[in-house]
Amino acid sequence: MKKIIVENLKYRYPLSENLALKGISFEVEGGEFIGIIGRNLAGKSTLCQALVGLVPHFYKGAYSGNVEISGMNVLENNISELSKKIGIVFQNPFTQITAAKLTVYEEIAFGLENMGIEIKETIRRIEYVLHLLDLEKYKDRNPFELSGGQMQRLAIASIIAMKPEIIVLDEPTSQLDPQGSEEVFKAIQSLSREGITIMMVEQKIEKIAQYADRVMLMSDGEVVDFDVPQKIFLRDDLLNYGVQAPVFTRVCRSLNIKNKNTGLYPVTLDEAYELMVRHEQNRS
Amino acid sequence: MAKTLSLYVERNTFIHRVDSINKILYVLVSVAIPLILPYKFVAVLLILISISFLLLAKVMRRVIPLIEFSVIILLSIVIIQGLFHAGNKTVAFHIARITFYKEGLSYAFTLSMRVINILLAFAILVLTTKPSELIEALVKKGLSPRFGYVLSSALQIIPQMMSAVGSIMDAQRSRGLETEGNLAVRIRAFFPLIGPVVMGSLIETRERAMALEVRAFNSREKKTFLNERQNLRSDNVIRLILFSILSLSIVLRVLL
Repeated sequence: MKKIIVENLKYRYPLSENLALKGISFEVEGGEFIGIIGRNLAGKSTLCQALVGLVPHFYKGAYSGNVEISGMNVLENNISELSKKIGIVFQNPFTQITAAKLTVYEEIAFGLENMGIEIKETIRRIEYVLHLLDLEKYKDRNPFELSGGQMQRLAIASIIAMKPEIIVLDEPTSQLDPQGSEEVFKAIQSLSREGITIMMVEQKIEKIAQYADRVMLMSDGEVVDFDVPQKIFLRDDLLNYGVQAPVFTRVCRSLNIKNKNTGLYPVTLDEAYELMVRHEQNRS
Repeated sequence: MAKTLSLYVERNTFIHRVDSINKILYVLVSVAIPLILPYKFVAVLLILISISFLLLAKVMRRVIPLIEFSVIILLSIVIIQGLFHAGNKTVAFHIARITFYKEGLSYAFTLSMRVINILLAFAILVLTTKPSELIEALVKKGLSPRFGYVLSSALQIIPQMMSAVGSIMDAQRSRGLETEGNLAVRIRAFFPLIGPVVMGSLIETRERAMALEVRAFNSREKKTFLNERQNLRSDNVIRLILFSILSLSIVLRVLL
């Protein structure tokens, strides 16, 4: 079933002369993990905000086209209504803390209280997300006492507790150290296993290559390509869009080590390692 | 421990468990009664009652700094009224050539008792009530959730902003900005500090507003409360006692 349908989406921010999104169209199936890549100002964050309704409801501006999230039209529904179907995690973990709650437990409950979810169900959901995102031992801590990675996991937990079918992540690890990033990626991986549809903007290409089912390459407000990682990272013009292929792909390309079945270069460490071992065995 | 502006002291006492709304009512009744019955002993009696509650709540030690803070105000009341009260006639004592009058000192005593009474009544409220519980109770009684959010978030955001100011100050100092010295130096340092603070706060506020939006903050659904407090019989009894005392004081005022 199609979870996201975007048709000819155009958008211009207030007081701006240029379109931030220039007629974007694509569809995403339920349970897919989509990676979004591209250089700065390619329109990635604007697209994320258009999916959750912040564009145009929060930012206003000139908007045309059609965006449907699990059958709900973004233009016809407010952000609170849409939040039942789609959630977003932003770059800065600090500003996603509401600051109105004194513990991690209460922070997760914030969205559920606003949605009018029954207390028994609220508690059940909080316990579930605390376990899913490995936050149980921090549940009585003040959210501002957490590390960046823990805070970002809390932001994800707070969104997951609202039971959205889709989660949009806009560079959630850009302000985190390697350990914090790894914590977040593990959390996202477990969400993906739960069948949640994921749209993730990320500059860490190796991670996108590892987790994404399909990759959307964006440039200057347009979708340049939308395909499986192996095909996207095979493009010769990738650097023109400010993106480098994963390091494993580049190494295998320089050694001309391809997957014989698909005829494509590997994009993940495991795949590259396997092909290299096989290549060495064949040589010897 | 993350910094908050809250004065709440965590204890497991009966006073802590009393409904927040009843504590607000206690403050209102405590402030109103000495005005309705303007006798010195009434304010003194209320002070003694508040002190008993603070002792029961095991937070009396935290009240001392509040009283110390008010000493300057109380002293100024005593000096001004003792010297210049409109009805001053009877000389009480002299200090050097300065004369203090009985009428003024008596009036100053009444005023001081009222100030201390208000201070102690508020101390019961702020030292024994979690701010989040208090605000939730007010939201349940009809306070706008937006206003409730502003109140509760300010308690945590202001200390966070102050720590951001510290970081910005360090960053500017490391670039050679003089932030200490005479007034002129400090004024010159103010603008390079306040610019990033204000811009940073505006950006953070916008991002936090978006984060609130996607967490259904403006939902039209009837909100639920995680820390839903059962209305106990003792809450109603306390409320009844407070209203009875207030009514009695009004009746006494009319009769006496």
